[in-house]
Amino acid sequence: MTVTQRLDKSAQMAVCMKTNELEAKLDEGNIQEAESSLREGLSLNFEEARALLGRLEYQRGNVEGALRVFDGIDLQAAIQRLQPLGEKQPPKKGRARTESQHAISQHAASLVLEAIYLKAKSLQKLGRLTDAAHECKSVLDAVEKIFCDGIPDVLVDSKLQETVSHVVEVFPELWKQAGCYHEAMSAYRRALLSQWNLDNDCCARIQKGFAVFLLYSGVEAGPPSLAVQIDGSYVPKNNLEEAILLLMILMRKFYLGKIKWDPSVIEHLTFALSLCSQTSVLAKQLEEVMPGVFHRVDRWKNLALCYSGAGQNKIALNLLRKSLHKHEKPDDLVSLLLAAKICSEDALLAAEGVEYAQRAITNAQGVNEHFKGVGLRMLGLCMGKKAKVSSSDFERSRLQSDSLKLLDEAISLECGNSDLIFELGVQYAEHRNLNAALQYAKQFIDATGGSILRGWRLLALVLSAQQRFSEAEVVTDAALDETAKWEQGPLLRMKAKLKISQSLHMEAIETYRYLLALVQAQRKSFGPLRSPPQVEDDKINEFQVWHGLATLYSSLSHWNDAEICLEKARALIAYSAETLHTEGVMCQARGQIQEALSAYINALLLEPRYVPCKILIGAVLSKMGPSALPVARSLLSDALRIEPTNRMAWYYLGLIHRDDGRIADAADCFQAASMLEESDPIETFSSIL
Amino acid sequence: MSRHQGSITSVDWSMVKSSLGLTGQVTSDATLDETTKPETTVNSDPSTATHDTPVLDSSTKAQTAIQALSLILPASVPPPISSHDNPAFSLLHDPEIASQISSLLRQPNSGAGDNHLCRWLYDTFQSSDSGLQLVVLKFLPIIAGIYLSRVTQRKPLAGFEAVLLALYAHETTSRNGQSVTVSIPDLSHSSIYHETKLNTKNSATELNLAVISASLEPHGTVRSTRRARIVGVALELYYSKISQMPAVSKIDFCEFCVVWAGQDGDMYKDGPDIENGRSEASKVANGEAAEEKGPKEGRIPLPWELLQPVLRILGHCLMGPTKSKELHEAACAACRSLYARALHDVNTKAILATGSLLRLCKIGLESDHVDHTEIIMTNIINL
Repeated sequence: MTVTQRLDKSAQMAVCMKTNELEAKLDEGNIQEAESSLREGLSLNFEEARALLGRLEYQRGNVEGALRVFDGIDLQAAIQRLQPLGEKQPPKKGRARTESQHAISQHAASLVLEAIYLKAKSLQKLGRLTDAAHECKSVLDAVEKIFCDGIPDVLVDSKLQETVSHVVEVFPELWKQAGCYHEAMSAYRRALLSQWNLDNDCCARIQKGFAVFLLYSGVEAGPPSLAVQIDGSYVPKNNLEEAILLLMILMRKFYLGKIKWDPSVIEHLTFALSLCSQTSVLAKQLEEVMPGVFHRVDRWKNLALCYSGAGQNKIALNLLRKSLHKHEKPDDLVSLLLAAKICSEDALLAAEGVEYAQRAITNAQGVNEHFKGVGLRMLGLCMGKKAKVSSSDFERSRLQSDSLKLLDEAISLECGNSDLIFELGVQYAEHRNLNAALQYAKQFIDATGGSILRGWRLLALVLSAQQRFSEAEVVTDAALDETAKWEQGPLLRMKAKLKISQSLHMEAIETYRYLLALVQAQRKSFGPLRSPPQVEDDKINEFQVWHGLATLYSSLSHWNDAEICLEKARALIAYSAETLHTEGVMCQARGQIQEALSAYINALLLEPRYVPCKILIGAVLSKMGPSALPVARSLLSDALRIEPTNRMAWYYLGLIHRDDGRIADAADCFQAASMLEESDPIETFSSIL
Repeated sequence: MSRHQGSITSVDWSMVKSSLGLTGQVTSDATLDETTKPETTVNSDPSTATHDTPVLDSSTKAQTAIQALSLILPASVPPPISSHDNPAFSLLHDPEIASQISSLLRQPNSGAGDNHLCRWLYDTFQSSDSGLQLVVLKFLPIIAGIYLSRVTQRKPLAGFEAVLLALYAHETTSRNGQSVTVSIPDLSHSSIYHETKLNTKNSATELNLAVISASLEPHGTVRSTRRARIVGVALELYYSKISQMPAVSKIDFCEFCVVWAGQDGDMYKDGPDIENGRSEASKVANGEAAEEKGPKEGRIPLPWELLQPVLRILGHCLMGPTKSKELHEAACAACRSLYARALHDVNTKAILATGSLLRLCKIGLESDHVDHTEIIMTNIINL
């Protein structure tokens, strides 16, 4: 090793010295001798010589030795001698002189500070972390004293800058390793919020280190001090906010090309943002990543996960269609399953979903064999959904039984999957196999410990379809006991309907009243942030309650009360098929056939697939003589296409067949109607999905 | 130790406590008095708790707790614990006591309303001494783990529920029932860490507000539909103290994550991205898994209100500043199982979160930890 000394340009001399001799002396423990030979050989002062020897020892890996050498220098005193640089600049003196003055005092500072830094590093290697942190702190304090306005970009000795950067970076690390997490937090903040003139890479490393620490340490940092808060700028108020901010800044540095891509940053950001359920923000971040960083298929897939997580399934599906294209990665199981799941929620996409699910099942081999059950489940769900839009009875029943077969097969592979148990219950119920449905509904409540509201609702609905109303009411009451006040809406509505089914009209009205009070209280006391989690997708709104009451009053021929309720409902939603439907029913009951018809027709104009009005128009027309019968029949057939299990539609269709003289057809229709009546739930089964 | 204002009507713990050994009188329902507002149930604010109670008092509380505990544990409490200057601290870190409590909690009927240990945990937490509360929290992973897995078995669990409700009430009070929100930063606004060139006058543009934890209603009993939320909130409390938790408690937590997930995750030992049927490690894993197929006991529904705090704790176990190899391995296993579960549920948020943790594990293993703060070793030193 060689030690060279370059003095100022004016001196124009360079001295050079081999270190063999020095090392030999150090090995013998003769620090003083080594020091004096250095001072002579290179004409150094005491501190410089010691600093140099310390570094020599440090570089040789002898940290204990280095520490001994450094301990010989009174570094604190040396720091005291360092003068502030910013203040001492008389403005109108010759530039050359100030520069050289700078150079000299910076040179001295650089030597001393490096010595302290190496002392800290030695202490760190010896496990004396707190001592090391204190040394670093003294360096930072000194630097702040020397450059009171922050380190300028120019006019700084590169070696001094290097030492400062090292110290700034290692300082929080030391506190962290020492287990002093609060000190580490403030050290990180000090590193990032003061002007140390750090280069991009160093700053990025500190930012990432801090973000990781904030995210995972489990220690709340508290808001930054008021001193650093600039008016109008964003100040993070907790760990997650601060971590996300830092990670976003790092992402921006990547795409501005200031630093090299570090894959862990996007993973940390993914974790943080998905914890906050803010996957749409994550999607934006992923979209901003420069091309070439991710494979495009991976990017599409991750974007799809993000958008689907944010409820934007349409965008997600479009992205998945790209990534599952035959020239990309058509066999990626996660994408296939997600695509199938999205499709299974929409009858018009179900056919597409069937393909994805089939592909997933084919590819569930080897390591991925465990996905077979999920694939079967998705296939079953897609088939069940597809059945809802199938054009023929034959196809529909084939799809429905296929769906049930697939779900049964899936449950044998995924026996503990409670969601699947629920889906089986609903499918069986829709297929009107009520015993099987009941069994699965009970099994679901057992498997979830009754923790999921829709399980209770399914059980009550199935019981109501079996015409076991009092038992259904017992279940509903049990469910009410297990539910907090704000989530009772759907259960209360059900309870009111159960009361109506048992002709307990006054009790039904009472239940509706209670429900109404609940809904109104909820509207007043809950802001947008306070909606209880389990009813988010299934909010009982005031409109529905008023409409339910109106229907109830009209069935009791309490026309005035019904009118008042309808008025209230209309005040909330001016035009809706439901209110027009009730209005029509009221007119019809009072013999105002033309008014009733126009109300029904208006309802259909608002909502062309509104089945109850189709049926009622059909029923009214069927009584208007033979010429109206074909129209009535087509309306009812149309209603049955949309809702094949609607008993009223079958009943009126039977009447028409009878009037037309097709007795056998009429008998079939009546039989269907009567069978369906025995298995008619108080609300449609699909209302709980 | 005086009883706190928050009273239990149907199970009067302190009364039962005074007649230790008398069992069978206790009904299985732990019902906190609903009329008592949570504000009065627990003296929750840790700062006032430490402020108001002098050290001596907290040490006496700890002594009382240790005495009560020694009547419950099969083996006696080692004397150095009670004679330590900070008995609560040594109680927190004593491995022998921890293993005794843990095996008691894992017994088949441990969660019943008349269980002495549950009662001790409840009383100890209600002592409002922050050191003792940490001791109770240490066992939350086991309590929550066993409780949630046992719910479906129709066993009496009122003892566990009382402890969980106490934790929930504590968190409710200290948060004043408020929700925890995060406003997601947007780089188009300047922040303390960066400046934007474009001078946004419309700095009032709304930031995305994310609800991390919804507002809390007081609960006197565990209603089944609120169960996941109550346990989730207890886990949030655990997370807020996690840096003080001993590693063994976190390892317990990770092990229960595997049970809850009910899904084998061994095929993801090489990270979450496996090509179809090409992973070497997973082939071996698959062979093993084939032997022990069958329904997994303890799989539970994982709604987001439960899964989110679970994932936060798991993140700490994996990436937190404390380095313990055993904990890291347990956390990796938990993460793999939860990832597999997320895929089976096709739960996108969970797939993203667990997938990123798994990738981070892999990056951590592969990277060659360069110390950027090391000086450049040279053969020529310039002065």
